[in-house]
Amino acid sequence: MPDSEPVAAWQQASVRYPYQQRVAVGPVTIVQRQGERLLLLGASGSGKSTLLNTLTGLVPATIPAEVTGEIRLFGETVDERSPAEWAAHVAQLFQDADQTLCGMTVEDEIAFALENMALPEPEIRARVARAIEAVGLPLEAASRRTMRLSGGEKQLVAMAAALAQESPVFVADEPTAHLSPAAAARLRALMLHENRPQSLLLVDHRLDGLIEHVDRIVVLGPDGMVVAEGDPAETFRAHGRRLDDLGVWRPLASQLDAELSVAGLAPVDPPPCIAEMLAHLDRLSEEAKPLAAAIVEGFVARRLRHGTEVGPPLAQLEDAACAPLFGPVVLNGVSLEVRAGEVLGLVGSNGAGKSTLGASLAGLLRLKGGRREGPAGGMAFQNPENQFVTGTVADELQAAVSPSTGPEAQQKAAELIRRWRLHGLEQHHPYELSQGQKRRLALATLTATERWPMLVLDEPTAGLDAAGAQAVVAQIESLTETGHGIVVITHDMDFALAVCDQVAILGEGGIMAQGPVRQLLGDRPLLSRAGLEPPALMPVIEWRARVSC
Amino acid sequence: MNIQYKWTLREILICAVLGAVFGVLYLAWVQVWLIAQAIFGAVTMDVVMGFWFIVSIIAAAIIRKPGAALFSEVLAAAVQVMLGSPAGLLLLLTGFIQGAGAEVVFAARKWRDYRLPVLMAAGVGAAIFSFIYTWIRFDYGALAPGLLIAMFVLRCLSGALLGGLLGHWVTEALYKTGVLSGLPIDRARRGAHA
Amino acid sequence: MAGAGLMLSAVHPLTKLVICLLWVAASILVFSASLQLFIIGTAVFVLVLLERRSPLMVMALMVPFALFGFGFLTTSVLFRQESDFALQMAREAPLGSEALSAGVVLFLRAIACGMASAVFVLTTDPGAFVKALMVNWRLSPRIGYALFSALQLVPDLAAEAQQVRLARSMKAGRPPRRVPGPLETASLVIPLLAFAIRRASRAAVALEARGLSAGRPRTVIGAPVFGRSDIAFGAMALALLVVALVVVA
Repeated sequence: MPDSEPVAAWQQASVRYPYQQRVAVGPVTIVQRQGERLLLLGASGSGKSTLLNTLTGLVPATIPAEVTGEIRLFGETVDERSPAEWAAHVAQLFQDADQTLCGMTVEDEIAFALENMALPEPEIRARVARAIEAVGLPLEAASRRTMRLSGGEKQLVAMAAALAQESPVFVADEPTAHLSPAAAARLRALMLHENRPQSLLLVDHRLDGLIEHVDRIVVLGPDGMVVAEGDPAETFRAHGRRLDDLGVWRPLASQLDAELSVAGLAPVDPPPCIAEMLAHLDRLSEEAKPLAAAIVEGFVARRLRHGTEVGPPLAQLEDAACAPLFGPVVLNGVSLEVRAGEVLGLVGSNGAGKSTLGASLAGLLRLKGGRREGPAGGMAFQNPENQFVTGTVADELQAAVSPSTGPEAQQKAAELIRRWRLHGLEQHHPYELSQGQKRRLALATLTATERWPMLVLDEPTAGLDAAGAQAVVAQIESLTETGHGIVVITHDMDFALAVCDQVAILGEGGIMAQGPVRQLLGDRPLLSRAGLEPPALMPVIEWRARVSC
Repeated sequence: MNIQYKWTLREILICAVLGAVFGVLYLAWVQVWLIAQAIFGAVTMDVVMGFWFIVSIIAAAIIRKPGAALFSEVLAAAVQVMLGSPAGLLLLLTGFIQGAGAEVVFAARKWRDYRLPVLMAAGVGAAIFSFIYTWIRFDYGALAPGLLIAMFVLRCLSGALLGGLLGHWVTEALYKTGVLSGLPIDRARRGAHA
Repeated sequence: MAGAGLMLSAVHPLTKLVICLLWVAASILVFSASLQLFIIGTAVFVLVLLERRSPLMVMALMVPFALFGFGFLTTSVLFRQESDFALQMAREAPLGSEALSAGVVLFLRAIACGMASAVFVLTTDPGAFVKALMVNWRLSPRIGYALFSALQLVPDLAAEAQQVRLARSMKAGRPPRRVPGPLETASLVIPLLAFAIRRASRAAVALEARGLSAGRPRTVIGAPVFGRSDIAFGAMALALLVVALVVVA
């Protein structure tokens, strides 16, 4: 149980970045007690990362900004020491390991923070060995070059580096954002390991599997102020509707809880996780069960895809060998097809070759073997910036509607702006847009003409909050209604369930299985072989199937 | 206007990655030079040389602190050496001298002025220093004076255009993407509008 | 010579650097074809026999240096004017024309400097080199780790460039060529620079968050140490160079 001494405290703290009218976050008053696990939630743009960065003074010392109010760490005001000095007591884990690695070998990487603390060399080596073991890597990994590691392994090394600091406070900003489900679960387990005495300050979106281990949540609204805080399950119950309106992610259990509450069937204590919710439903009386089952049925139905009419195949791969640009073959024996009006999901662990397969399906990559049939497809890249070629949003749209010119082109561009909600951004440089805006712009350019009937979307929900992700689901649905065939690459299993008709599971150098999404994503042995986890909705679907028997 | 001379870690890293990116581009430019030289002959090195000064101008225009031009050029040279440039370790010396040539011009303007004429002058400065160095190194004293004058003029022009003007365009295009926000170039631009 | 293979990797990077620079200096200051050939020969010997590199690779390495040097040869032959210095060189030249022989020396010098540098670059791990600079020559750790970060960036730049090219090829309807042409390369510069600068900005935050700062003492683990191999290598390399200079002079 947490002690009563606050380890971090924000008193009416607010942050304003230079040349911005609006305050990025605040004024907020938040107190974190020693040993407490605190989760910060909020919609995109609500200033969560900014708040995290004020803890050790990165804002304003490294990231210039105007900070008002008082921020205390271990009882001292934060600006009494530099962020580098605070680093001895606070370990930080960032979202993208690629951007934060600086050591040439795994050992150097893990030792970096310890070297900065001027610890003696034998102590550093001992801690490095302990950290490597703690994250489950073999000891030989110490001398491996970090550049050769996969994305998931890099984040694991970053985690080891943070653990090696053995500091009383651990801060993590969306550490599992780019990881596949199994890797994310592994990282989460390391962070939340029961006998760590650390205080944990966390920002994350992937709540299922996390919430039951968190002591308290604080929700920030779009204006950067605290909207709700308290015990996770209770806060979600009390403020659920408000959070939905703000576009904040809610765990599945809380969403189901809200619907059951309306019928008076919710448990007395709000359930922290789906398993407990289902256990509660099992304990309901026989009269209440059918009503509960009906509610669950509706709940599930709204989170699954109801396909549109499926048309002819738009792209086919036959016994293809796929390789990235100028690289070696990563997938063999691939036979897939994408039909008009259908959504095909590609899932698999990091490095399984999902993006390569997506680009091969679109005809962007030459196959090293086998055949591809069908017109060229378009692809919305993982990093939307990769496909912007001009200097303003308006120019991008103009380029996209070509070969139309003159007033006709203007009209089409205006239509695109309206449809994809890009008002007011016409003169901005595409790189200046928010993540959601960039993705919308990319999709706008891809759907401006009939040139690409088949579209591949690579991680379309990455970096988006719940509202943004919902919008993507709606966009995909409307695209299928106009006869497009869509391929979605994702590691969000619930999103895949919500949006796909068919799914292909990649792994072991090829396609491990393909078929209807509901069937494949419920096959647990298959998923765990592929390094995946079932969607959070799956236990609910299974319960429903059990009860109706 | 208050100028801070102390470098932030962000600025050091930006200089380092500018050096890395242009180190690679410089190596590619060597191929252009060698092909052009095979076709056009002797003075092509002076005509294409200006491009090798460009990182010092871009770094200085972005970071606006003493040493930016020098540091970025040396770093670009270091990256090239590590990637196997045909000029070898001596490239570090060349990079130092070229960077120093540009730095001298920025110093003369007290590291406050980064308008186009100054950038082009920095390109010329680098060209002059480079010319003196290659004179010593490759014994230009033994070459025909007409040729020498042509080489010098071409190199200065190349420095002004491929270094200064092109560097200016690249910096402008980069500024528009918004990635330079918070850096001295951004503060200077916004301060001017305030 | 038991255990001589990869011996050079055990030598401290800074020792190697100083020695290689001395050889390069000798190559430049002494205008003699035979010295250049001697340097080239020594470098080849070291790389092929001591470091067990493939002779083919070493030959291939000389090609860019040779191309580089060829330019000097042609310039010299075509544009050299009469001078006392040149005539003096010609008297010692094995080849007839004095312009040609001066050009040949410049050509060989380019290869010699290149090979001497290659010995350093191929036998030194960049990580060990930067660590040595931080520990022995008091390179600021901020600059040292900036260098590491920049090195980490290079392969990611290549990957990013590929993605951008793939996206462009999608819009153009044509698959990308193996090597980008000049126009394509020019259009990649801004996106790649933006990528690199954004990465640098985030890395700066992460490095400071992990405690990197100027001026505070810090440990460096695994830094190269001076040892017996340094004395042995240094002595042999210097002696060899002195002997060569004496013979040539």
